[in-house]
Amino acid sequence: MSIAMVNSFKALVKREYWEHKGAMFYTPAIMAAVFAGLMILGALTGDHITVNSGHGFSIIDHLPQAMEQFENLGEEERSKGVQIGLYGAIVLFGFVMLIVSLFYALGSLYDERKDRSILFWKSLPISDTATVLSKFLAVTFVIPVFYSAIIAAFQLFLLLFATVAAWFGGSSGIAIWASSNLFGVIFNSFFAIVTASLWLAPLWAWLMFASSWAKKVAFLWGTLPIFMIVVAEGWIFQTTRFIEIVGDRIANGFVILNSNMHYMVGGDMFEIDVQRWYEVFGNIEFWVGLIVSGIFLAGAIYTRRYRDES
Amino acid sequence: MTTLIQAKGLSKSYGSHQALKSVDFSVERGRIVGLVGPNGAGKTTILKSILGLTSYEGDLKVLGLNPERQRHQIMQKVSFIADVAVLPRWLRVADAVEFVTNVHPNFKVERAKHFLSKTSIPMNARVKELSKGMVAQLHLALVMSIDAELLVLDEPTLGLDILYRKEFYNQLLAEFFDEGRSILVTTHQIEEIENLLTDLLFIRDGKIVLDATMEEVAEKYIEVMVSKDDAAKAEAMNPVMQRDVFGRKVYLFEGVSREELEPLGELHSPSVADLFVAKMKEGK
Repeated sequence: MSIAMVNSFKALVKREYWEHKGAMFYTPAIMAAVFAGLMILGALTGDHITVNSGHGFSIIDHLPQAMEQFENLGEEERSKGVQIGLYGAIVLFGFVMLIVSLFYALGSLYDERKDRSILFWKSLPISDTATVLSKFLAVTFVIPVFYSAIIAAFQLFLLLFATVAAWFGGSSGIAIWASSNLFGVIFNSFFAIVTASLWLAPLWAWLMFASSWAKKVAFLWGTLPIFMIVVAEGWIFQTTRFIEIVGDRIANGFVILNSNMHYMVGGDMFEIDVQRWYEVFGNIEFWVGLIVSGIFLAGAIYTRRYRDES
Repeated sequence: MTTLIQAKGLSKSYGSHQALKSVDFSVERGRIVGLVGPNGAGKTTILKSILGLTSYEGDLKVLGLNPERQRHQIMQKVSFIADVAVLPRWLRVADAVEFVTNVHPNFKVERAKHFLSKTSIPMNARVKELSKGMVAQLHLALVMSIDAELLVLDEPTLGLDILYRKEFYNQLLAEFFDEGRSILVTTHQIEEIENLLTDLLFIRDGKIVLDATMEEVAEKYIEVMVSKDDAAKAEAMNPVMQRDVFGRKVYLFEGVSREELEPLGELHSPSVADLFVAKMKEGK
């Protein structure tokens, strides 16, 4: 690969960011800001919560008690409590990320045909392979990196918030930081998010393929064939293997995303076998998924190259 | 290499409809060729074949390369403007310049900045915030900064007002065109560019019906303004078209010498638009 090709590919990935800044960055950033704002607002105004009309309940009055309880816990218990709280951020942000990725993939090769900007992109010496791969990289890696960064920032905020709460409870809050394993949490969060997205790569690649040949409503072109296969399978073989495989794949994506939390809670959050992010790479299904992704991507490249835009 | 485009037996079918029926033509270096035809005649199919955007049958070479298989190499030396509305609405002007700089080996960023500085386009604006005329200026600034050998324009000024249309072609002539490059252009507003063109290609129902330089056209096609009294004499000489102008008749002749026509009345070169109408009606 020449330097020119690398520069060209970097420019393509950057273009995806320019076009999807809203979904990639502003959506999680605003979510984080709103949650942080609500928590601060809640702490400022909610120091007297009225429970069952009449019985005043003051959070601040209970803080010293809560801090004392926390500090009396064993080291392991404390660590568990704090880290569960931090990993909790992934549940919500990760879910939003998967939804965003879904719509990104569906629009990736459809929107440019809808607004005819494909005629501008095709007037430049960029191969269809580079274009499709840049979009695949955006969904499997760039989006997860942005969400990971925002999640890390939010986890940091959670710790700061808890520290201030600890001060009101008469504690220094050092115990919270000591129990947080912050860098470990950020590291594991990042890899769980990226791995989950890579695990779902066949789904993204399929949606990109559908996006490349959809004439209208890309969503239907992405979902209808799946339903047709399910119906055909049920009709011919009276089985439901296909939908089980698809459902299993997607469910496992969510599970990998939240695998850190699962093991922190004690391994009984999900009722299926849960892979830690580093175990995913040893799973043959993961690699089969990447091969399947490659086939769908080849289809998308071919379709974009030879589709007649009339 | 002086021949930039060479087509032999170029054909294309959409189902049972034959859009191109074994077309032959060539575009030489240093020419500005107008590809003219009614809607559905096959103009866009020819352009798309040249740009490797569609499949075709027959033999087609662009810069000596095969557009179906060597599209990537061709696009390093060929630019095109499909029409003005294809720049993505979310793109910022500065980002567009940066993007093309990074992906195009023959893009001269200083030139683009120079062209843009002569317009009132703000560098941080998004395409959707620009007027249609400004979008065309932006697109032209980008394309003229590419050191291309062939520029393909498909209805480049559609929907623009007259000031921008004139400016568009003036700039192309002044800043881009030289004897080392060629321009292939389709447009409905043929009267606006007829003075620019060096060659004409008329296409009708998937067939080329006229392929000539402007000099050849001026030699071969002559219009004569004839008074009503001489009308019968003119009609006897097989004009290809006639129309009435202020009580007199104008006849268009193909391949009749000036000496033969001069006694009938005043001689003119026909406008491309009139010639086009004549060629489209021929045999119908």
